[in-house]
Amino acid sequence: MPALRELQEAVFDALFRRNERATAEVRDQGLAPARRLQIYRNNMMVSLADALAAVYPVVQRLVGEDFFRHSARRYIPLHPSRAGHLQPFGAAYAEFLAGFEPAAGLPYLPDVARLEWAWHEVFHAAAAPPLDLARLAAVPEDARDGVQLHLQPAARLVASDYPVLSIWQTNQDGHAGDSTLSLDSGGEQVLVIQRDLEVELHALGRAEHELLDRLARGATLAEAAEAAFAREPEFDFAAQFARHLALGSFAGLALAA
Amino acid sequence: MDVSNWRAGPAPQMDAAAALPARAGMGLRPQHYLEFLQRRPDVGFIEVHSENYFGQGGKAYDCLLRARADYAVSLHGVGLSLGSADPLNRDHIAELKRLIDAVEPAAVSDHVCWSSVGTVYANDLLPLPYTREALDHMVRRVDAVQQALGRRILVENVSSYLEFECSQMSEWDFLAELAQASGCGILLDVNNIYVSACNHGFDPHAYLAAIAPHKVEEIHLAGFTRKQFEDGEILIDTHSRPVADDVWQLYAAALARFGPVATLIEWDTDLPPLDDLLHEVRHAQTLLEASHARIA
Repeated sequence: MPALRELQEAVFDALFRRNERATAEVRDQGLAPARRLQIYRNNMMVSLADALAAVYPVVQRLVGEDFFRHSARRYIPLHPSRAGHLQPFGAAYAEFLAGFEPAAGLPYLPDVARLEWAWHEVFHAAAAPPLDLARLAAVPEDARDGVQLHLQPAARLVASDYPVLSIWQTNQDGHAGDSTLSLDSGGEQVLVIQRDLEVELHALGRAEHELLDRLARGATLAEAAEAAFAREPEFDFAAQFARHLALGSFAGLALAA
Repeated sequence: MDVSNWRAGPAPQMDAAAALPARAGMGLRPQHYLEFLQRRPDVGFIEVHSENYFGQGGKAYDCLLRARADYAVSLHGVGLSLGSADPLNRDHIAELKRLIDAVEPAAVSDHVCWSSVGTVYANDLLPLPYTREALDHMVRRVDAVQQALGRRILVENVSSYLEFECSQMSEWDFLAELAQASGCGILLDVNNIYVSACNHGFDPHAYLAAIAPHKVEEIHLAGFTRKQFEDGEILIDTHSRPVADDVWQLYAAALARFGPVATLIEWDTDLPPLDDLLHEVRHAQTLLEASHARIA
């Protein structure tokens, strides 16, 4: 009689590697043991592919359901679920698509997946209250350059060489208007943020993205502003900074040591 | 280790006031949240899948907290992987504990099954071999989880599509002994009993007869799907259809044996309009009230 551990390893071999050694452990009565294991394999693949499709509806719309299911069957054994809940499942799909030969003709696809993963994370994230302006105002003038602003935990930044936000918007249900896009129209940067429990996508300028990205990585306000100006000398810092204070893009504040 | 020698720690007592009411409730899924909160239908309790709220943020979690203000909540888990030979996932237990502290549910449950090997999860409720080894293991694991959560849990029987050659006892004896030895309660899924009885050719009434009445603290009902193969038919527990007539009959037999017990209608895929789901809930409530009347 196999020990519990051996039996479970044999069943996993059948589920993930189509290995048949577990068939000998299954009671042979009515349906064949291999068929019974196949039912479990099928349930697993379908439920995980469904979970992936729920996170990546735009990718599925762009490539079609058959192609998407095919990619999921390849993805699942390579990057299986590693938690008893599904929230982290699918995190590596963008990276997987970047190396997935059949998708090589759609170079923007991994970035669309990155945007959808950001949406998924932001949707489930616990939002922090927006930065209290009084806290910023209380920082002495000569210390303001050294301020570090923490990005809202329910917010993500996505930057792409392709028009990812336009692609995403064009592929939403109920999208009205022009559905043709030129891939040569340039890259787009996006802030994905939870506000009043809804997920919002905001287009960012290059310098604006640079500012937020640097802050998110721990730069001081002076360093982040300098990087933004290096991108675009005519960057309107005051206006963009006020915009993000109003959006609630920042959640906390620290003074660099 | 033999179960008869195993001394579980004192099973933490669930606050009696927090127990699920002996009424019919419904599984609340995100597609129905807004309508449910607007209409506030008269259901006995709501149940959600714990794991979907581990992030404790966003719209779905907010809806759960709003519903929680007016309804008793059952937190039903699918990911503890109680029967796995690998170590208990402490991160998972910690997340569950955090959610329990926030929601203060009337019941917390998971399954008599396994889902993981090492750090890989199948996202499915896989059946155990019904051996002494597996039983001892389950008793220890349920005890460890109850100690970590500081409360009793309910464990649910799963549907299965295969049986293992090495099983030494019936599923119902396994379940009864697990509940006895660990001090946990039983969430009896009557649909799962019916599905497995058809798939493996046992008498579902023998299953009911083996379970001690005071152990059953919740009942689940759901719909299954029939799947044909050239070598036979199998019933799949899809939670995608109304409860079958045969399952309603088995439910009536369960109520006759166990008395009125909190009963949940589960519907997870191909969700119908909320009214159709409430129709099923009302039918369960009618049968529950009939069993109340018989006892009174």
